[in-house]
Amino acid sequence: MKIETKFNQLKEEDRKAFITYFPFGFPKIAYTNDIFLALQKGGVDIIELGFPFSDPLADGPIIQKASACALEQKITIDIFFDTIKKIKKDINIPIVIMSYYNPIYRYKLAKFFKKAKVNKISGTILVDLPFEESSQYINQARKQGIDPIFFITPTTSAKRAKKIAKNSKGFIYYVSIAGITGPKALSYSDISSHIKDIKKITNTPVCVGFGIHNHKQVRRISFFSDGVIVGSEIVKFIDKNYKQINFLQKLENHVRRLRS
Amino acid sequence: MLLPNKKGYFGEFGGKFIPETLFFCLKELDDAYRQIKKDKKFKKEFKLLLSHYAGRPTPLYYARSLSDHLGLKVYIKREDLLHSGAHKINNALGQALLAKFMGKKRIIAETGAGQHGVATATAATLLGIKCEVYMGREDMERQKANLFRMKILGAKVNPVTIGTKTLKEACSQAFRDWVANVSDTYYLLGSVVGPHPYPKIVRDFQTIIGKEAKRQILSAQGKLPDYLVACVGGGSNAIGLFHPFYKYSKVKFIGVEAAGFGQGGLSAASLVKGSPGVFQGSKSYVLQEKNGQIKNAHSIAPGLDYPGVGPEHSFYKAIQRAEYEAVSDKQALEGFNMLSRFEGIIPALEPAHAVYYLKKLAKSAKGKTVILCLSGRGDKDLDIVRKYSK
Repeated sequence: MKIETKFNQLKEEDRKAFITYFPFGFPKIAYTNDIFLALQKGGVDIIELGFPFSDPLADGPIIQKASACALEQKITIDIFFDTIKKIKKDINIPIVIMSYYNPIYRYKLAKFFKKAKVNKISGTILVDLPFEESSQYINQARKQGIDPIFFITPTTSAKRAKKIAKNSKGFIYYVSIAGITGPKALSYSDISSHIKDIKKITNTPVCVGFGIHNHKQVRRISFFSDGVIVGSEIVKFIDKNYKQINFLQKLENHVRRLRS
Repeated sequence: MLLPNKKGYFGEFGGKFIPETLFFCLKELDDAYRQIKKDKKFKKEFKLLLSHYAGRPTPLYYARSLSDHLGLKVYIKREDLLHSGAHKINNALGQALLAKFMGKKRIIAETGAGQHGVATATAATLLGIKCEVYMGREDMERQKANLFRMKILGAKVNPVTIGTKTLKEACSQAFRDWVANVSDTYYLLGSVVGPHPYPKIVRDFQTIIGKEAKRQILSAQGKLPDYLVACVGGGSNAIGLFHPFYKYSKVKFIGVEAAGFGQGGLSAASLVKGSPGVFQGSKSYVLQEKNGQIKNAHSIAPGLDYPGVGPEHSFYKAIQRAEYEAVSDKQALEGFNMLSRFEGIIPALEPAHAVYYLKKLAKSAKGKTVILCLSGRGDKDLDIVRKYSK
């Protein structure tokens, strides 16, 4: 599904997007599809599927640890695509791949986006590829009709924000706080005023991520944004519960509670 | 040709591959650096610190015994004689002054061997700025003396316990700290690596090595040398020596990387054994798996124990301006002993790699003149050498 279609749907339902992140291959490759489907069942609107990188500069301890765990299983991009291919027909929400640039760069951009399209990927986010370095990436993504999603952060200047907003498709990822991923206390007034500024320059939906880890934050931030992204909290939950027999049901309930 | 260009590229290498939050910091840094470069007061203060505090110029010493032994004319650029024990102080003083100029209240740094950490702690203390250093747990064990020195100098040392627990992770942790503390913190990066403008700033502060060496060799023998030899981890001492000779194409550059265990084993030879990739902020050669995951590095010399290398070196390799060779742990120890016994100079294990390479070079370059950059002294490495000698 196109991300745009999803946001139109949400608009009609008068809801905000609830987006969750989890890394491919964590805790084991065999879990990825089940986790994906449990999140979908729990009412997640868009899933950010991480492709782990050995040196995740922007991630806090929770995602660092999960990435290292996934990498121990010798994951590759081919294995990644082959895995999600198996549930292709059951997927009815947009999937966004989130990673760092090097694995994609080594795989070759053209090949990556071709395969991404075949496997129903709707968008991509590369944490360490700023707009200035991304002309080829944007071209290849567009060629396959995949949305390249860029970040705006509290330190992004107004001039830069304009350029980023113009090039970010699907949605704009607004980073709640200058910092790395992981649970944090957040200032709603700061975030809300930044979002107001971004809304003045673009019609693209703006979703907020980093630090969001509880139901209250989800609700408050949904109020003045187009969606929220929960990452580390989901990863932490998976880490804590995946060995239990009713894990998938628990995960489904957990996300349902978070978004309600 | 302007190197790097405005976007921070040396040919196809370099750039700024960083999370969006840091974009602002790098621009602020770039702007401040441009301003300070032209500032007379800054230049004067920096020059004074380099001469009266750090001990510049360092001698270019003709190593007679070693030369006779090898059949080369070996001149040694004595960066090991600098205050705090290595060339790292050149860059640390320059950037700490820049931090002060920018009004930053806190300096953070990564360190492997501890030399950059010690140099940063030294410069920060001198200028009255708070200092925190990230150091891998493994390196804290290997370089206890430097760890203690940093603490004496008043720096807070934060152990890094993830991954290989060495320089690569220390560097990532420093970046993460910076992302979270952008407004008051200055990240004092220790080598010619990372996103633009770091490879340029660090190079500029280190080119004093090559500028002095050029003047000194001309006065010693009336002509330029045939070879420049320096060890390469991230590559700051090598670029510092090489860069001022860039346009003299007859002067050959040889960068010596760490082959670690040698043969198929773990190494830190990014240029010799790696491939182009994007790692810790720039596009450059890096040791990586086929699937783009960064490999773990290994070297007996903690300061070389890093899977990446500065983009300017990758560029020199691509245009064949420099050659890069790799020397193993065992060979580096031989270099360590060679310089100690022939010249009474105990080198750090990092430049000991370059010292050993002279033995190889001597086979094909009899009678030629070589400048070797002795980037640091060996006091910090006595424990490692003792352990290996057993």
